[in-house]
Amino acid sequence: MIFRRSRHSDEISVMNRRSALERVVLTIVTILVVLFFMLPIFWLVTTSFKFGREAFAIPPRWLFFEFTLRNFQEVLATTKISQYLLNSIIVSTGATILSLALGVPAGYAIARSQSRILNSSAYFFLILLMVPPIAMLIPFYLIMRDLRLLGTYASLIILDTVFDAAFVVWMMRSYFADVPKEMEEAALVDGASRFAAFWRVALPLSIPGVVAAAIYVIIFSWNDFLFALMLTSPETKTIPLGILASFSAVEINWGKMAVMCLFAIIPALVIALFLNRYFVQGATMGATKG
Amino acid sequence: MYHKFCRLCHSIVIAILVLSIVGCAAPVAAPSPAPAAEAPAPIAAGLEACQGQNLVLASMTDQYVAAFRALIPQFEEASGARLTLDELGYVDLYQKLIADFVGQTANYDLMTVDIVWSGEFGQNQYTLPLDDFMARDEAELQLDDILPVAWTLGEWQGAHVAYPLAGYANVLNYRKDVLEEAGIEPPATQEELLAAAQALTDPDAGFYGMALLGAKGPAVAQDYMVWVQQHGGRILDDEGKPALNTPENAEILKFFGELFNYAPPGSADYWWDQRETAFRSGNVAMMEGWSIARAGYENPEISSVVGKVDIAVAPVKAGLEPKFGFGGWGIGINADSTPQEQECAWQFIKWLTSPEIQKEWLRNDGAPIRRSTMTDPEIVAQYPWMPVLLESFEKGDGDYRPRIPQYSIIQDALGTHVNAFIVGQVTAEEALDAAQKQVEDNWQ
Amino acid sequence: MVTTDHQISTQENRWLARVRRFRSREGAYWVMLAPLLVFVVAVAIYPLLFSFRISFFKYRLTDPNQVQTFVGVDNYLRALQDPTVLTALRVTLIYVAGTVIVELLLGLALALLLASEMRTTRFVRSFLLVPMALPPLVVGLVWKSLYNADFGVIPYYLKQMGVSVGRGPLAEPAWAMPAVILIDVWQWTPLLMIIFLAGLKSLPTEPYEAAYADGATRWSRFIHITLPLLKPTILVALLLRTMQSFKVFDTIYATTGGGPGSTTTVLNFHIYTVGMTFFDMGYAASLANVLLVIIAILSALYIMLLERQQL
Repeated sequence: MIFRRSRHSDEISVMNRRSALERVVLTIVTILVVLFFMLPIFWLVTTSFKFGREAFAIPPRWLFFEFTLRNFQEVLATTKISQYLLNSIIVSTGATILSLALGVPAGYAIARSQSRILNSSAYFFLILLMVPPIAMLIPFYLIMRDLRLLGTYASLIILDTVFDAAFVVWMMRSYFADVPKEMEEAALVDGASRFAAFWRVALPLSIPGVVAAAIYVIIFSWNDFLFALMLTSPETKTIPLGILASFSAVEINWGKMAVMCLFAIIPALVIALFLNRYFVQGATMGATKG
Repeated sequence: MYHKFCRLCHSIVIAILVLSIVGCAAPVAAPSPAPAAEAPAPIAAGLEACQGQNLVLASMTDQYVAAFRALIPQFEEASGARLTLDELGYVDLYQKLIADFVGQTANYDLMTVDIVWSGEFGQNQYTLPLDDFMARDEAELQLDDILPVAWTLGEWQGAHVAYPLAGYANVLNYRKDVLEEAGIEPPATQEELLAAAQALTDPDAGFYGMALLGAKGPAVAQDYMVWVQQHGGRILDDEGKPALNTPENAEILKFFGELFNYAPPGSADYWWDQRETAFRSGNVAMMEGWSIARAGYENPEISSVVGKVDIAVAPVKAGLEPKFGFGGWGIGINADSTPQEQECAWQFIKWLTSPEIQKEWLRNDGAPIRRSTMTDPEIVAQYPWMPVLLESFEKGDGDYRPRIPQYSIIQDALGTHVNAFIVGQVTAEEALDAAQKQVEDNWQ
Repeated sequence: MVTTDHQISTQENRWLARVRRFRSREGAYWVMLAPLLVFVVAVAIYPLLFSFRISFFKYRLTDPNQVQTFVGVDNYLRALQDPTVLTALRVTLIYVAGTVIVELLLGLALALLLASEMRTTRFVRSFLLVPMALPPLVVGLVWKSLYNADFGVIPYYLKQMGVSVGRGPLAEPAWAMPAVILIDVWQWTPLLMIIFLAGLKSLPTEPYEAAYADGATRWSRFIHITLPLLKPTILVALLLRTMQSFKVFDTIYATTGGGPGSTTTVLNFHIYTVGMTFFDMGYAASLANVLLVIIAILSALYIMLLERQQL
């Protein structure tokens, strides 16, 4: 998405030329903005390396402090962080695969269909996204209890998928609406079925969109707290719940909490730093097309 | 291209199938330990029931969790069972336990039961009444060695839905060096407490007289009820109905609020860990708290006040007969666990609360329930404050926080409205009226 | 013109053929939509209907006998008269208004600030994406530690600057809501930033050139060209954030628990308390339905505005 370069690019740069003073001010503002958004994360990272009372020493020591790996050793030794990680991975992967498998074809169908009923089913999924999760959680909890599925991975994956798939449908619908139909029409003329047109033509063209959708679903399920709180057993606890276990009545233990939070934000950091292209695409897709 | 996608398609289908199988299978507990190749260690009498069992214990992250971590391996070796410890904070412990009971999922076979949950667990039949077990094994249990007040940990309408695990006395911890320097005697009455707090507070130096729990929720509710007890107030009336907005309680609330003037500014948001940290960091002169924390003040790794702390019985209002708040935790067995698991769980309880193991329990930051433990010469030598504890237990009141099934409603109402008073949003009378109304609206 | 039999039958055939093609085309689409629909109906509709139904009953989750008594609209009437609920509604509206408005303005400002495609701005933008990918629970816990009155970083610097912190940002009734709103702003402004960036990038250049030729200042170009052209983007961003903001839970849970007093008890959090602390399922369901209706009405308003915009 580059600024459209017209013949008048010179005019544009003249239009937008800023005085030196403006540039300085804007640079300062940019630095302040970056500080504002980065400081809490920086705090988190540095705190994880501070043991015991160092972590909340006053005045706060940002750069020069007693660096230690004891928090990491303690967390790895006494908590079940590796199990929580594994559980989070299982749940996120399951929800992603399931919601993509269900949502991507549905998004395509809604984007291409000319039946009005089909088109308005998109709003049905939007309503799903509006429901306060707690309204769904309590009856879902009761159903899972009666099915004896409480505490399994399946219960959490299924409930996550309901909301994730609705989101995927919305994203893929706008994405497919953008994909030009000519290639699919060509395939249809050649005698391919609608599904083959989707599978062999439209889908390969929209891999970036699918990846973006996948990223959002991974993040949603990884970060989920409320559903995990009610639907997991000690064996299937995910990371956000594990973090709560770092709080005790004995003493403030920010170091331990920080280490566990670091584990919790791994996918966030990875995605935001290395896959940000897809991340951005995902956010804007739903936005500009509405 | 087509074949690649065919493969992708197939792998997705297979993945979904695999996941549904994995997901639908209830997580199987780790396989029971295979019988040892060498001659197994001799199993103590009664513990044979535990051979090969897998139990899960849900424990609050109080100080005694360190004792669990130290002792559980010993139990596993002695019994051949496998006991997994799950540590949870106060709020999550309660919710996970309730979810486990209501869902009848028996994820936890053993659980630490707060004294105030006795009524709720008893009425809703969440935990197994232990009286049959107790009658059967009476000879081993040495029941009269357990202090009478400790039986409130899990007693409900004559039955015991939890066994005493850790007894806490509400005591007054104070910095003897600070009080000596200021020439103040450790307060013996509530009025003296307020005066001392006022005298010792020096905001410019960052030093305060008292540390208190002010955070919305269970924290401030507990602390307020402690002061209600110390001033002779009551939460329930004679018929057992909530009577929160009596004039006496309002006066007590004002007294409580005044103490906050002499506490660190963040006290309105203090949970137990923050209050402890405030005292351990040396910023505060006095703190009323549970006796289990006392040993930690001598641990240089987490305390800056090693050797400077002393404890006394908690002061009551002048003229009142001294009774001291008693709290703590019982240990209960899930009513939905299988009979074999319940039998093994009972064996664990017996083992853990036996006089020999109790000494180890105490040494690893546990809290006592037995008179023999608290009067043992070795223990007293190591922990010189045991006599103070014993006195607090002997005159202990385990009912100052009503252990009724509706306790969580009272706790939530007080938790919200006392906090609103502490931060200056409402007057004491308004706060208690609102709390009373909320309790009545939600009473079941 | 007189239609011959031949012409009629061809027309009929054409129409029939169109219907057949329509059906086979649509049939394929229905097949592709079906798995999701079946899944959602099975998994979501039943719970939603249950939630709707139970709101007319009195049902205590922890009741050993699991008794459900029909009480008609009592739960809803109770909700309308319950001071806690009305307070929670007011708090929710304040929270939503506060977060959405601030994030909108800040997001737009950031998008304008970082609109260029220089290496540094692209670099900065990718860092700014991190907050919105973090678990809200973690964000809440980190900020709670930063706000800690005695040991936190923020009160420390505030005190250094001479600002009285009192009981701390999260414990002072006047500051708790702004403090919590700030956390939300920190986490979600980047989302609005990228939405606006995308919108800005897709704006045509001609109007700007024309305005420049006419001698318009940068500010008036912004007001009279950029803003009107961005309206659809703004509306979509508003819709997204409003829907999300109404459902806030993790942040409140991690930071204030609804306190001090009830100053940060949003409706979604209160529903959780009613359902999971009091186990009053019927009442909780009725409150959840009320919240859903509010969100739905607001969203419908936005969507209608959006549709009109695009006509």
